Amino acid sequence: MAEIETMKTEDKQQMAEKPIWTDGLPPSVLRVLNAKGGMPEQIRMAVKSDLAPDGKFGEQWLLIDAKYLWVISRENGTATLRHQVPLDKIQDARVERCVGNGLIQVTVDQKPQVLLHYSNELMDRFGRVAQYLRERALSGPDIPVPNPDADSHRCLVCARLLVDPSAKVCPHCIQKGKILKRLIGLARPYWGQIGVIVVLMLAGVLIDLLPPYLTRILIDDVLRAEGNRSLLLWLVGGLLGIQVARVIVTILTNWSTVNVSTRFTSEIRDRLFSHLKRLPIDYFDKNQTGRLLTRVNQDTAELQGLVSQMTTFALNILLVIGIGAVLFSMSPSLGLYVLIPTPLVMAAAYFYYRYMRPHFERFWIARWRLNAMLNTFLAGVRVVKAFAQEEQEEARYHNRNQRLLQSRLQVDQAWSKFYPLISFAFGAGGLIIWYAGGQAVLAKRITLGTLMAFLGYLGMFYGPLSNLTHISQALNHFLTISQRIFEMLDEEPQKEVSNPVRRAKVGGRIEFDHVTFGYDPYYPVIRDLTLTIEPGEMVGIVGHSGAGKTTLINLLCRFYDVTSGSIRIDGVDVRDLSMEEIRKQIGIVLQTPFLFRGTLAENIAYGKPDATREEIIRAAKAANAHDFITRLPEGYDTIVGEGGTGLSGGEMQRISIARAILHDPRILILDEATSSVDTETERQIQEALETLVKGRTTIAIAHRLSTLYNADRIIVLNHGKLEEQGPPQKLMESKGAFYHLVQLQSQFARLDGVATL
Amino acid sequence: MAPKAFELVRLRPEQVHFERQGDTLSLTLLEQADGVKVGGDSRGEVPGVRHFPRVVLRLCFPVSADSVYLSVRDASTEEQEEIGIIEDWMSLAPADREAVAAELGLHYFVPRITRVLRVKEEFGFLYWTVETDKGPKEFIMRNSVVHYAREVGPEHWLLIDVNQARYEIPKVSALDAHSQKLVKRFLYL
Repeated sequence: MAEIETMKTEDKQQMAEKPIWTDGLPPSVLRVLNAKGGMPEQIRMAVKSDLAPDGKFGEQWLLIDAKYLWVISRENGTATLRHQVPLDKIQDARVERCVGNGLIQVTVDQKPQVLLHYSNELMDRFGRVAQYLRERALSGPDIPVPNPDADSHRCLVCARLLVDPSAKVCPHCIQKGKILKRLIGLARPYWGQIGVIVVLMLAGVLIDLLPPYLTRILIDDVLRAEGNRSLLLWLVGGLLGIQVARVIVTILTNWSTVNVSTRFTSEIRDRLFSHLKRLPIDYFDKNQTGRLLTRVNQDTAELQGLVSQMTTFALNILLVIGIGAVLFSMSPSLGLYVLIPTPLVMAAAYFYYRYMRPHFERFWIARWRLNAMLNTFLAGVRVVKAFAQEEQEEARYHNRNQRLLQSRLQVDQAWSKFYPLISFAFGAGGLIIWYAGGQAVLAKRITLGTLMAFLGYLGMFYGPLSNLTHISQALNHFLTISQRIFEMLDEEPQKEVSNPVRRAKVGGRIEFDHVTFGYDPYYPVIRDLTLTIEPGEMVGIVGHSGAGKTTLINLLCRFYDVTSGSIRIDGVDVRDLSMEEIRKQIGIVLQTPFLFRGTLAENIAYGKPDATREEIIRAAKAANAHDFITRLPEGYDTIVGEGGTGLSGGEMQRISIARAILHDPRILILDEATSSVDTETERQIQEALETLVKGRTTIAIAHRLSTLYNADRIIVLNHGKLEEQGPPQKLMESKGAFYHLVQLQSQFARLDGVATL
Repeated sequence: MAPKAFELVRLRPEQVHFERQGDTLSLTLLEQADGVKVGGDSRGEVPGVRHFPRVVLRLCFPVSADSVYLSVRDASTEEQEEIGIIEDWMSLAPADREAVAAELGLHYFVPRITRVLRVKEEFGFLYWTVETDKGPKEFIMRNSVVHYAREVGPEHWLLIDVNQARYEIPKVSALDAHSQKLVKRFLYL
C-alpha cells in the first residue's frame, strides 16, 4: 500500500488561522510553488495523489494557499506545475468515480476543469477536498479547513489503513487477552456447566490411561505358565467396565459440550439481533444485507463449531500431558525414545494442512461454482426455455462439472500420495519403541507387559499431538470471529433524544428549513430546500427519478439526519422528538408492500398489536380489502409468507393501506403507492386512499401524475431543489415543469390506451 | 420533451475533434448535413458546430473489445448524456486518437500485472506485491477467490482489491514461472 502521509491534526479553528501543512511537502514542490508566486507559509491544505499525470502510479500534489489552488506533479525529484486556479473563481467542485480511480473537477468561469486523478484508496481524501471547495464557493473563504484524512478507515489502535473497512481494529491489533476475557465474561451463566465438562474430561483422560495399565498386569502376571487364572476374569471384566465407563463419560462430555456451546451461541445471536434492530438505518446502508447475514448467522455458527474445537484442544492437551507423564514414569529412557519421532509427527501434520488445504479449497470452489450455476438455471428455467438455450446451459454445466471432477481427482491423488507418508511418520515412532523397548525387555530392564502398555499409550499420544499442530491457527480464527461479533455489539445504536418533546395532540404541520442532505456527504441529493406543509394539506411531490423525492421522506421519518438545516413537525425539530413519537405520528404506504410472515389480521394490526377484531375489519373495509379477504378460505387468518405469496400486488397494497389506517397517524406518506398495479386495481386503491387521507397531512409521491389531481398542492423537485409549487390547475395553466411532465406522460398514456384496446 | 430516441447516434471520425488541456478533454463536433440530431447540450455560437467543454469517454466493452464502440458523453449534464458513439476510435485522426487514448488511460485505471513477486496470506486477506504496467504496487485482496477474483476469459483474470480497484492478469501462462506458481497457488487454479 502506498504510504499515506498524515498531516498534523489540529483543531479546526486553529488550522484555519495558522496552517502548518508544509511539513510533508517535498522541497522540489515547494520550490515550484515559490517560483510561481505561491505562499508556502500560508498553505491551508496539502494532499497527495498516488497517480501521475500519465495515469501510472506516481505523485501529484494538490495545494491550497490563501489565494490559489495549485496542482504540482513530481517525477524523479522534479516538480512541474500543472494547474493554478484562483480560489475565488471556483464556482463548484466535485469528485467523479472512474474505473479503479477517481478524479476531482472544479468549475471556473462556467467551464469544468479536471484537476487530477487519484486511485480508489484516496477516494475519501479528495472527496473532502471537493466538499471544502464547494462549501467555500457557497459560503465564502472564512469556513474552516477540514483535515482531508479525518476519520478515514484506519485501525483505532495502530492507525494502519484498515484492509476490511467494516472492521475497526486491524487483525494485528486484536487484543487477544481482552477478547478471551470478554468471552469468558459472556459465558458466566455457564460456568457451572463448564466446570462439569472439565471434570468429565479429566475423568475421561483417567479412564483412557487405565486399559494399557491393565494389559500390562494381564501380560506380566496372568499370561504366564504359572499365571493367575482367577485374575484373568477380573482383569477382562475390569477392561469391559472401563470401556462401558468410557462410553458413558464420552456421551456425557459430548452432550454437555454441545449443550453449552449451542446455548452460548444462540444467546449471542439473540444479543446481536436485539442490538441490530436499534442501529440507525445508515448502518444498514453501509453494510450489505449479505455481510450482516454472515455476521449474525455464519459467524455465530462458526463460533459454536470453534467452541467445540477449543474443548477438543483442551482435551488433547490434557491427554498429551497425562500420557506423557505416565510414559516417563513407566520408563524414563523409553519415554525419551517416544520423543524422537515427535517432530516428524508434528511436521507431517503441519504439512498435511498446508499441502492438502489448497486441494480441498479448489474442490470447494468448483463445487460452489457448480451449485451456483445450477441455482441460476433452476431460478431462470423459464427464460432458458423461452430462448431455447438448453443446449448452451448443458454445455456450461458440463464444463463446470468437469472442473469439479478434475479438482476431486486432484484431492484424491494428493491424498493418496500423502497418506502413506503420514502413516509412515506415525508408524516410525512405533518401530523405534519396538526396537529400543525390545532390547530393554531382552535385557530384563523392563517387563514385556510394560512394553505392551507403552505401545498402547503411544497410539494415544501421537493422535492428540498432531491435532495440536494447528491450534494457533484455530485460535486466531476463533478470536477474529469473536472480534467481529463484539464489533457489531459495540456499534453505536441510534441516538435517542435524552429529553424528548412530547405533546398530547399533533397538528401535522411540516417545515423543511434550508435542508441539505446527501447519503454520501460529497454528493448532496437535497440542496437547500425550504418548504412548509400545513396541517391537513395533501401535497404531491413529483420529479424525475433521482430528484430527491424519496430522500425527502427518509429525512422526515428520520431514517437519516440532515447534513444542514432542519426539519420541524409542529415547530419541533425532528431530532428533538423520540423515535417512538415520530413513528407514531407518521404512517407510510410504500411502493412495494411488505407483508411479514403471519396472518393477514396480524399484518393489518402490525402497528397496533392490541387492536380488536372489529378495528381490524373496519380498517380493512376502509382500505377496500375486506371483500377479497373474506373470499379467502381462511379469511383474516390466512397466513402470508415473507413475500406475501398468494396475493396479488394490489391486494397486498390494500393490506398495507389497512395497516396504515389502523395505525392512525397524523402524517401520512404515500410513496408510489399505486405505481405497480393495473388501472382497475389503482381505482380501488385510490378509493381506499381517499378514506385514509381525510383530515391528515398527506405527502404523496406519485409516478402517475393523474393520481395527484385532487392534491391541494404539487411540488416539483429537480436535482434536490424546489423547481415549482402550487395547486395542480394553476401549474397546468402556467405551463411550467409540471405541465411538461404531464404532457410527457399523457403521450405515453395514449400509447398505453392503444395497447390495451 | 420528446421521448428519448433508441437509435444509435454514430459519430464519424471526420466529425469530431478532441482536445486535451491538462486532464480535461473537450470536443468540437461538426453537425451532420443530413440533419441527424446529436444528443447533449449545444453551446456553439457557430451554426452547425457544437463545442463541449468537457466530455467523458466510456468503452462499451472495456474487457473484450477496447477499440470499438466508444461512448462519448457530455460531462456538463447531470446524467452525463450520451452525445454519440464512435464505432472504431482507432480510425480517428492521429491527434484525436492520442487524446482519446490518453483520456481512456486515465479513466480505466486497471493495472496489468506483469510479475508477481510475493503473496502473503494473513487473517483472511491476501497481500500481493506485484509489478504492473503502471508501476510496482502492493495491494490487499480478500482471500475469497469466489468473490474477488473473476475469470473474464480463458486464463484472463481480474483481481479486485479491498478498495474495489482492479488488477488484470491478461494471460496466466504468459507470466514467468515464479509468478505463475504464486497465482496458481493463491487463486486455486
